[in-house]
Amino acid sequence: MAGKGGKQSRSGPALSGRKGTGEQEEEEQPLQAVLVADSFNRRFFPVTKDQPRALLPLGNVAMIDYTLEFLTSTGVQETFVFCCWMASKIKDHLLKSKWCRPTSPNTVHIITSDLYRSLGDVLRDVDAKNLVRSDFLLVYGDVVSNIDISQALQEHRHRRKIDKNISVMTMIFKDKSQRILHYQKTQGLKKLQFPMNIFHSASDEFEIRHDLLDCHISICSPQVAELFTDNFDYQTRNDFVRGILVNEEILGNQIHMHVTKDGYGVRVSNLLMYDSVSSDLVRRWVYPLTPEANFTDWEGQSCTYSRHNVYRGSGVSLGHGSQMEENVLIGCDTSIGANCHISNSVIGNNCTIGDNVILNHAYIWNNVHIASNVMISQSVVCDKVVVKERVKLNKQCVLAYNVVIGPDISLPEGTVVSMHHPEEEEEDDDEFLSDDAEVGQSKDKTKQKAFNPAEVGAEGQGYVWKASSLDDTEDEELSQCLWGLVLNPDPESESEDSEPDGPDDPMIPSPEMDDVKVFQMEVLGTLQRGLEENISCDNLVLEINSLKYAYNITLKEVMQILTRVVLEYPFQQQGPQLTASQYVAVLLPLLKKWAPVFKNYVKRAQDHLDCLSAFEEHFLEQESHWAAMVKVLMNMYQLEILEEEMILRWFSQGATTKKSIQLRQNQGLQKFIQWLEEAEESSEEDDE
Amino acid sequence: MPGPDKETDLTERIEAFLSDLKRGGSGTGPLRGSAETARETTALLRRITAQARWSSAGDLMEIIRKEGRRMTAAQRVLKIIREEYARSRGSSEEADQQESLHKLLTSGGLSEENFRQHFAALKANVIEAINELLTELEGTTDNIAMQALEHIHSNEVIMTIGRSRTVEAFLKDAARKRKFHVIVAECAPFCQGHEMATSLSKAGIETTVIADAAIFAVMSRVNKVIIGTQTVLANGGLRAVNGTHTLALAAKHHSTPLIVCAPMFKLSPQFPNEEDTFHKFVSPHEVLPFTEGEILSKVNVHCPVFDYVPPELITLFISNIGGHAPSYIYRLMSELYHPEDHEL
Repeated sequence: MAGKGGKQSRSGPALSGRKGTGEQEEEEQPLQAVLVADSFNRRFFPVTKDQPRALLPLGNVAMIDYTLEFLTSTGVQETFVFCCWMASKIKDHLLKSKWCRPTSPNTVHIITSDLYRSLGDVLRDVDAKNLVRSDFLLVYGDVVSNIDISQALQEHRHRRKIDKNISVMTMIFKDKSQRILHYQKTQGLKKLQFPMNIFHSASDEFEIRHDLLDCHISICSPQVAELFTDNFDYQTRNDFVRGILVNEEILGNQIHMHVTKDGYGVRVSNLLMYDSVSSDLVRRWVYPLTPEANFTDWEGQSCTYSRHNVYRGSGVSLGHGSQMEENVLIGCDTSIGANCHISNSVIGNNCTIGDNVILNHAYIWNNVHIASNVMISQSVVCDKVVVKERVKLNKQCVLAYNVVIGPDISLPEGTVVSMHHPEEEEEDDDEFLSDDAEVGQSKDKTKQKAFNPAEVGAEGQGYVWKASSLDDTEDEELSQCLWGLVLNPDPESESEDSEPDGPDDPMIPSPEMDDVKVFQMEVLGTLQRGLEENISCDNLVLEINSLKYAYNITLKEVMQILTRVVLEYPFQQQGPQLTASQYVAVLLPLLKKWAPVFKNYVKRAQDHLDCLSAFEEHFLEQESHWAAMVKVLMNMYQLEILEEEMILRWFSQGATTKKSIQLRQNQGLQKFIQWLEEAEESSEEDDE
Repeated sequence: MPGPDKETDLTERIEAFLSDLKRGGSGTGPLRGSAETARETTALLRRITAQARWSSAGDLMEIIRKEGRRMTAAQRVLKIIREEYARSRGSSEEADQQESLHKLLTSGGLSEENFRQHFAALKANVIEAINELLTELEGTTDNIAMQALEHIHSNEVIMTIGRSRTVEAFLKDAARKRKFHVIVAECAPFCQGHEMATSLSKAGIETTVIADAAIFAVMSRVNKVIIGTQTVLANGGLRAVNGTHTLALAAKHHSTPLIVCAPMFKLSPQFPNEEDTFHKFVSPHEVLPFTEGEILSKVNVHCPVFDYVPPELITLFISNIGGHAPSYIYRLMSELYHPEDHEL
């Protein structure tokens, strides 16, 4: 009801408010929203090569319209849409839509730039342009939701009023309002780690939850944008949340969460999600955003609703004997031939479908031609695709724009066909954010390469993409492949594992796995550059230190990674077929050169042990190089990187696995240890 | 005459109203009853009449028809607005007709052209008529409640379903003089029946809540069924909350009288031709929460909101202007609405 009141009082002041009297009242600031119409990842590739993700149709309506409708219905009066990839298309779409009519209760500003590469960039720009004046909502352009967030909003404001500006963000989760102490993606992690200090703090109750669905809707205070500016290394919301939580004591910022039981809210982050959101939409979970409501107000988009969730647009013709079984949405002016079976599918506008076609979980966009005797199951068919006779699409196939398939071919599970050649893709890999120009170029190249009739059929046009292109430096969620991972969460085992571990446990896989990996790459790069450009060790230490802060890596990890990187360096340079003697020959001068770097980090006893454990780990993997091990260890001892006492301690206690015991039985190593022991004794004798 | 500023303000208001209806327009949500919708629609119409540019009755009708068409074409979900529309237009029409009749006598012309004549006083008259309609709308619930004592006697057992503000007021009014027992069917999955029961028991009425499935079992004890409705259709049937048809059939089986409390503005010129068009399906969340993902992938869940109740199951309508048999509805219809206006 609160939202209602707000809305009615809006219509008057909204007009005048826009003309510059916005500062009038502190209390009644119009609610603003920042909509990021770019995902900054390539999960929908190659589909998103021709159309930005925000404009992909979901139930025949562009995804961004769902997001805008959600924002408007929650009472947002001013939305900033940030676009980057194919910004002009999004702009065109929005200008034509009802959101840009003068009567729209939600003023939409479109801000485009090719320079945004992450959520962080967008929010820094928000701060730079000083766009937000009060709390704002942060959403992505592919969020579909009907959650009433007015309560969360009220709670957020209330909290902010009570203790001035401490709470900076409220995250909406689907499933009651609390503080977030620790936030972590559990995807693919077998163990969860909790910092001890959480349990030392004042509150008495904790809840560990692994059953929440992140709606990717956050209520942010204006400080959020500032914080992003201050911390230039925040790229995603996860970085931000982690950063805030880690620095909670220092900066005094807190993040809260709101868990809602009603409503529906989800981000379409991969095609599997696309599949389930579409079917949820057709099954009316997102009511009142149902297909027949025609909330976008496009002319001629209206459709009728009948039993078993069958929606029919105007001008739909259905041939003799064809059946629309259940959960079917058919767009305007689509004609369907005789004896077709259609279930759980969405068909766009102006499609022609032949006779005897079987569609199950098929998502067919606009202007698609499907010939007779075609079978399609759980696949996405984009605009203007032609599917010829007797083609069979198995599960999880994707036909991108303008592809022609068939006749008489069956595509195996998970096939992705696009008019763009996968290789040219690699070339402009780095520049996908701004390659409008390059798309033109690549078309010329496309003509030179022939289509493979074995893959796409005799009259086919298009290239088959290898399903997984796993390049995940810019992670964020589940996976990089188009359909995402198949989610098989096993809540039982996970909750058991979620017992807190002591922070000193040495071998826990750290939660920031990806950061660690990236860090390792960076360290390697730094050392390499140092070698090439002959940078002094002091400067190398400086660089590694700054990397350490940028990726939030503990000192211990730095040590281990550094050791590992150095030890692997020869392999990196010369390839893995190096013999032991060659390996030593390459490594020893390097060790000598970088000894000051090591000395800088390896100081306390614990450091030595960490370094040694990384050392051990490395050689456990390289069994054939055990001969080189002693020499390297010896060298490290002589360079005074490692102390003999520590080496002895490591040797006597470190063995835990069978293999490491085996390693300690290595003759050379035993000799070396013996020698060390003797040397120690003699030095002791000397002292006496 | 209003400047362009007012004009845009008007369209803005209409847009806001429409989108509000679209978003919150479920009769089940926490939003509002149909009475409120009716009042708002009429108020909006008054504004249109007052602010839009028109010079004769014909123009005005054209304008209202246009806006009305837009409102209904925009969403088929909410039939109610059409009814409200037709109703209020009916009223403005009455005013028009009186005026043009007057004109008809003086000028002797018989054609449609008459609507094109200009009257200085017409605008004021129409607005007045709409204002009257507004006051009438506000008084409907009280009018109906006043008749309660004629229908409810001491120590009767009365059954109702879900929550209707009209029925609530009706029962409370009777409870001031008489003692009786009310059985409320909870009306799952939204369970408005629970609210109704709480509200009634606060007013000192002996109340029992039963599950929808127990309606037939309990019916043998019941003296009278009193229900509300969402809409009264042109044939005297009802478009009422889900479960009403079950209730009506059970009542028929036990020959228990079924009384429908419905103010006049709920009367719609529609006939129940296509049953599907009456249905509204909302999010199945209430039936099966979304967290039950495992089940949902294998099962279809539906959550319809309305039921059609045929007129032969209904004993009596109580409206703000008195009691009527279902067969009398057609007569009321022609009194209230102009036949040309049934189709917008």
